[in-house]
Amino acid sequence: MTDPSITAAAPPPAGPTRADLLDPAHLASLGRIEIVARWVVEGFLTGLHRSPRKGFSVEFAEHRPYMPGDDLRYMDWKILARADRWMIKQFEEETNLRAALVLDVSKSMDWTGSPDRLTKLSYAEHLIAALAHLLIRQKDAVGLVRFDDELKSVLSPRARSVHFYRLVRTLAEPHGGKAARISEALFRAERMIRRPGMIIVVSDLLFEPKDIDGPVKSLRAAGHNVGVLQIMDPSERALTSAGEAIFCDTESDLQVSVSVADVEDAYRETVEHVVEEWRTQFSGAGVEYDVVTTDTPFGVPLRKAFRVRENLP
Amino acid sequence: MSFLAPIWLLLVGAAAVPLLLHLLKRRIDLRIDFPAVRYLLRAKQDHRQRLRVQNLILMALRIMAILLIALAAARPIGWLGGTGHVPTALAIVLDNSLSTSVIVDGAPLIERLREEARGLVRGANSSDRLWLVTADGRVVSGDRGTVLDAIDRSDVFPGRGDLPAVVTRAAALVRSAQLPGERITVLTDGQATAWPRGVDVGNIPLSAYMPSGEAPPNRAVVLAAARPDRWTPNGTVVLRTNGWGPGGDSATYRVALGGRTLARGTMRANEEAIVRAAPTERGWQPGSVEIAPDELRGDDARYFAVWLGNPPSVRLDATAGSFVQTAVSALVGSGRVALGADVDVASADAAIKLPALLTAPSDPVRIGAANRQLERLGVPWRFGARRAGESAAHGDRMEGVTVALRYVLEPSERLGADTVATVAGEPWIVGGERYVLIASPLIPAGTSLPISAAFVPWLGDVLAQQLGGEAGRVLALAPGAAFRPPHGTTGLEANDGQVLPFDPASVRAPMRQGVYFLRRGPTRVGAVIVNAEPEESDLRRLSDAALAARIRGRDVSVLRDAGAWRAAAFAAGNRRPLGTLLLVLLLLVVAAETFIARSGLRRIRRT
Repeated sequence: MTDPSITAAAPPPAGPTRADLLDPAHLASLGRIEIVARWVVEGFLTGLHRSPRKGFSVEFAEHRPYMPGDDLRYMDWKILARADRWMIKQFEEETNLRAALVLDVSKSMDWTGSPDRLTKLSYAEHLIAALAHLLIRQKDAVGLVRFDDELKSVLSPRARSVHFYRLVRTLAEPHGGKAARISEALFRAERMIRRPGMIIVVSDLLFEPKDIDGPVKSLRAAGHNVGVLQIMDPSERALTSAGEAIFCDTESDLQVSVSVADVEDAYRETVEHVVEEWRTQFSGAGVEYDVVTTDTPFGVPLRKAFRVRENLP
Repeated sequence: MSFLAPIWLLLVGAAAVPLLLHLLKRRIDLRIDFPAVRYLLRAKQDHRQRLRVQNLILMALRIMAILLIALAAARPIGWLGGTGHVPTALAIVLDNSLSTSVIVDGAPLIERLREEARGLVRGANSSDRLWLVTADGRVVSGDRGTVLDAIDRSDVFPGRGDLPAVVTRAAALVRSAQLPGERITVLTDGQATAWPRGVDVGNIPLSAYMPSGEAPPNRAVVLAAARPDRWTPNGTVVLRTNGWGPGGDSATYRVALGGRTLARGTMRANEEAIVRAAPTERGWQPGSVEIAPDELRGDDARYFAVWLGNPPSVRLDATAGSFVQTAVSALVGSGRVALGADVDVASADAAIKLPALLTAPSDPVRIGAANRQLERLGVPWRFGARRAGESAAHGDRMEGVTVALRYVLEPSERLGADTVATVAGEPWIVGGERYVLIASPLIPAGTSLPISAAFVPWLGDVLAQQLGGEAGRVLALAPGAAFRPPHGTTGLEANDGQVLPFDPASVRAPMRQGVYFLRRGPTRVGAVIVNAEPEESDLRRLSDAALAARIRGRDVSVLRDAGAWRAAAFAAGNRRPLGTLLLVLLLLVVAAETFIARSGLRRIRRT
């Protein structure tokens, strides 16, 4: 059975537009985080149904209302005959996956380059919520680890629907430490899921590569599938400020005075170089890695995270 | 290199601004929280050398841009590069004298000169100052359109003009403009008589254009005169023609008076011919001498005027003496005078009225009576001390005349007379309004005049021309020449009878050749004869060197190639404005600055 509060949620006002493809800031302004997560997942799954994927689900999981574009083969004709309701039968693979979502909540994450965009943390929280909802719908057990300069929250993996709300409440817990100590968070995540599972790290990766290199290799050695989503504000990928200014690090006393016009090209090159370094490092360790900017619709990173899930039985 | 607006060079000081901005540590007030400062720091460290070079290049380009702006604003001119020509004060002296109306190759020469002048003006631009100065002294200044229009409207001046004076004036105009480029250009037919004297233009460059080829042959009437001005009614017309080139040694002429042909004939060039006549017309009459037309039509006719009237009637008093009686009888016999009451000829003491020819009384005791009579008649002279002893007389037609007895002529306060003849430096014969006074009795004991050969003609002229009627004047003038009209004149009557009023204070002769009559109310009181100067008919040209020698200056050239002449007009020492060049350089610098500031070095590095 599905949670009625989730299935009863109204679709986003955009009508036929898929929520997973809407502007993140606009979508987040329409409802609470769990509602938005539901819309995103619904839209995401609709997209998946339209694609001819084989072996998506083999056992019945639950019903959901019919939506235009759904395959009529999955229509529950009995319910239609009895209650005159258009319902689609949903199936799921039988799985016992255990997943851990690792979220960086350090102060550097609580920043946006524009009031029209979500902060990196808010974006990451919405993404974590949507990912958790998606996994729970597939009966995967999902846990959560939040960290900054220390472990802020640890939520053990569960596959029940009500666990999603617990996870959402955990996302709202305090945060804002001045550094990100990810090694401890990854260690804790490994301990949470014990047997080989899936670990998704969502962070801006504003720490030293060696802080994550060892723990990630350790996770991979233990048979876990690991994915890293680097969250970046568009203003971090390319400087958009004008003139000269003193740029102050939000997590340290580091300050740099520059003329944006003078360094914007060099900065863009450096960021691309850093991203390439991360990609090389994670690729070498067998880790899925991607960069997500906060103006990217949630469906995009969700698909990337789901790709990690697909590599598992 | 020099500058037209050097004050703008002060802008060069602004070049220090980018330098100061580069060198001084600027205070930055804007602080921005930025999580990815580590990337920013790494970017600065990784690209330090490149950023430094880029900043130095940008600073140099910005300083260069300011310097170029300052230089361009100062309007430099120099010898290297540049486009167009420096602002030039250009005076175009167009020789439009009568000689340029000669037909050469089927068209008037002036047309060719005008066309070359137009081509020159079209090469000017808005920063130039232009003047068109014609041989008649007219000056038109203005923009290119105004001067082109003036060239189109410039007519042939029917006289010689004064080219040396015009060139001098052009030099003054050019000098007054104080522009970096100065030039006088002269378009002339190179007629030798048009440059009777040298002219100095000083430091102002002058280039003269003279068409190639020899002057065409020409015949002209160079003299046409009525002698005397008053015909009573006998008179003569004296004429002479000149000719140069093939067929110029003789000419067929026609003399006309009052619209009627007086004579026709053929005469040798450079010789005078005389036509005698006693026309029946009366009053002022126009006359002309014409020859067959040739390439220069303006000098194929020459004009004169004459007053025609009846012979004056003379009342001869016995006191005038027997010699005078004999002479008057001869004049009556020849029809030059008649007996009557118009003019008195008598001893001063016996004269009744004016006009009169008055002599000193032969009896010294009558001197007092004579003086009283002179006072009564209003003659402003008195007989003074008696002078005896033979002395020579001096005056027109007085050669060989001696005076043995005379009285000193003493002017009264109302002096208004002309001295006709003198003896020992003292007036002997004086003439005034309506009288002629001789200070000796006309007897052999007093003077040899009555027994000289010239006496009868002299007496006839005095009676006919001076005393026989109202005096009239004939003024022979060049076209446009200034003259002072006789007192009381109110207008000038043209050939068609139209009277042109004028300001007596400054009167100029009409531009058109012909006969004009001076009017006092409805009466003709004289004539103005407008003819071109005879030397204007001599079309022979100067050589290039001869013309150049007559114009003194630092840079004088005489060219027969119109293209070279036009090119020289705006050369001004080969200096050109550098503004356009500097602006192009400025654009290149700005483009380079933009390129480097945006993506230049990055692209360079990648390549």
